[in-house]
Amino acid sequence: MFSWLEKNPFFFAVFVFVVIAYAGLVEILPAFAPNARPIENRKPYTALEIAGRQVYIKESCNACHSQLIRPFKAETDRYGEYSKSGEYAYDRPFLWGSKRTGPDLMRVGNYRTTDWHENHMKLPTSVVPNSIMPSYPHLFNKDADLQTAYAEALTVKKVFNVPYDEEGQTKLGSYEEALKMMVEQATPIVDAMNDASVKAAFEPCKKDPSASNCEIKEIVALIAYLNSLK
Amino acid sequence: MNWFNLSDNVNLLSIIGAIVIVLTVFIVAGNAFNQMKKNKSNAELAEHTWDGIGEYKNPLPLGWALMFVLLILFALWYFLIGYPLNKYSSIGEYNESVQEFNAKYDAKYSSLDDDKKIQMGERLFTLHCAPCHGLTGDGINGKAQDLTVWGSVDGILNTLEHGSTGLGYGEMPAGLVEGEDAKLIAEFIVKGNEKGKELFAENCASCHGDNAEGIEDVAPALNVYGKAEFIANVLRSGKDAPSDASVKVIGRMPSFIHALSANQIDALSRYVSTLSKE
Repeated sequence: MFSWLEKNPFFFAVFVFVVIAYAGLVEILPAFAPNARPIENRKPYTALEIAGRQVYIKESCNACHSQLIRPFKAETDRYGEYSKSGEYAYDRPFLWGSKRTGPDLMRVGNYRTTDWHENHMKLPTSVVPNSIMPSYPHLFNKDADLQTAYAEALTVKKVFNVPYDEEGQTKLGSYEEALKMMVEQATPIVDAMNDASVKAAFEPCKKDPSASNCEIKEIVALIAYLNSLK
Repeated sequence: MNWFNLSDNVNLLSIIGAIVIVLTVFIVAGNAFNQMKKNKSNAELAEHTWDGIGEYKNPLPLGWALMFVLLILFALWYFLIGYPLNKYSSIGEYNESVQEFNAKYDAKYSSLDDDKKIQMGERLFTLHCAPCHGLTGDGINGKAQDLTVWGSVDGILNTLEHGSTGLGYGEMPAGLVEGEDAKLIAEFIVKGNEKGKELFAENCASCHGDNAEGIEDVAPALNVYGKAEFIANVLRSGKDAPSDASVKVIGRMPSFIHALSANQIDALSRYVSTLSKE
């Protein structure tokens, strides 16, 4: 029956692969398709949140912080509801992380606030005495890269059909409109912060979002992103 | 001899199975040896040889062939239909373990005495509150409400001096009452000192109610100020002032209603109410 296969090692290997892969297919695929869809009420990130997400990636926050709550009581007690795969539908790339040196951040927006994040980035030990996290003062001086953030949002909208501008979803619009919305989202965050230089840099934005001296600092974008994690 | 406990079904079945397997091996092997001694094959040799080793063209043994086909059919059925794809879920296991734990927890909680509940609250405080209020509840140099002062006479004086907002009621402006009067009112609220009663009626009752029981959507109850009930309310609602509030607030406190069960809120409130030093 299989003597032909026995004489052809290559095809034998292919055959073995097919036989073994079959088990994987029947176990994984049926559950995979529905779970990869965005969970209900999950909206794509706003442009400002994407800018903050890029800061998060740039500073490698994911090296110490995970974004994945496992379904164990000890984890859900501390971090909130366990993660579902549909919640990552708009995460490109995903930021699950692989090790927790610091706590999980999947739902940090539920139990930390703007002013806490500000203190924490400036000097982590000021709020968490045993923290070994370094401080990130440069986030308060550098401007967030809003253009790249908008470009990323536009790209995923066009290439992956992320539902920006659709009924009941996140608005994106043209770059000018997006800038206006970014300033809108940043306003309450800047108001809740104490750092004078961040406030001063943001002041021109309130009058004219597309002014050349309108600066949204990286820390503001990052806090917008962290507050959106719920 | 735990492993030889035959009253355990699994052990019994395993032992029986082992005996059956050993017996079968002996019978089948004996059969095969006998056949090798006696039988002479009169079948033709197949034309295919493997380095000089040939093979007789015997028909397939019927029993074996039947078994082979049945097993293939079984495998197809098992893979496509019979395999227990939906029999186990880790989420189901999680839900069961949480239910079990909560039932145990609630039963135990209702039997605890007050000191134990306060101890429990202390542990919850370390996890949920210490990141902003500090391990001792002192608010880490004004990063959050100083809970060692809040709930005491000084706490009321602070509120009168700076005003208050964010609990979902309106705004209370700063400096409504000052000096000696403020002290008397604070002592009336915290210690029930009768001297401040009239002052309270004049200055505070219009919003906080005649008996300091609070008025819905206007001002919180002050007859529970510094006590567990007040704290439980704050834990449930959070403290979120509008960003354009005229009163200076420290920051925003999120609601902890999703992180804590009713009993945990109770334990935590009891602990926090013990923090103020008076």
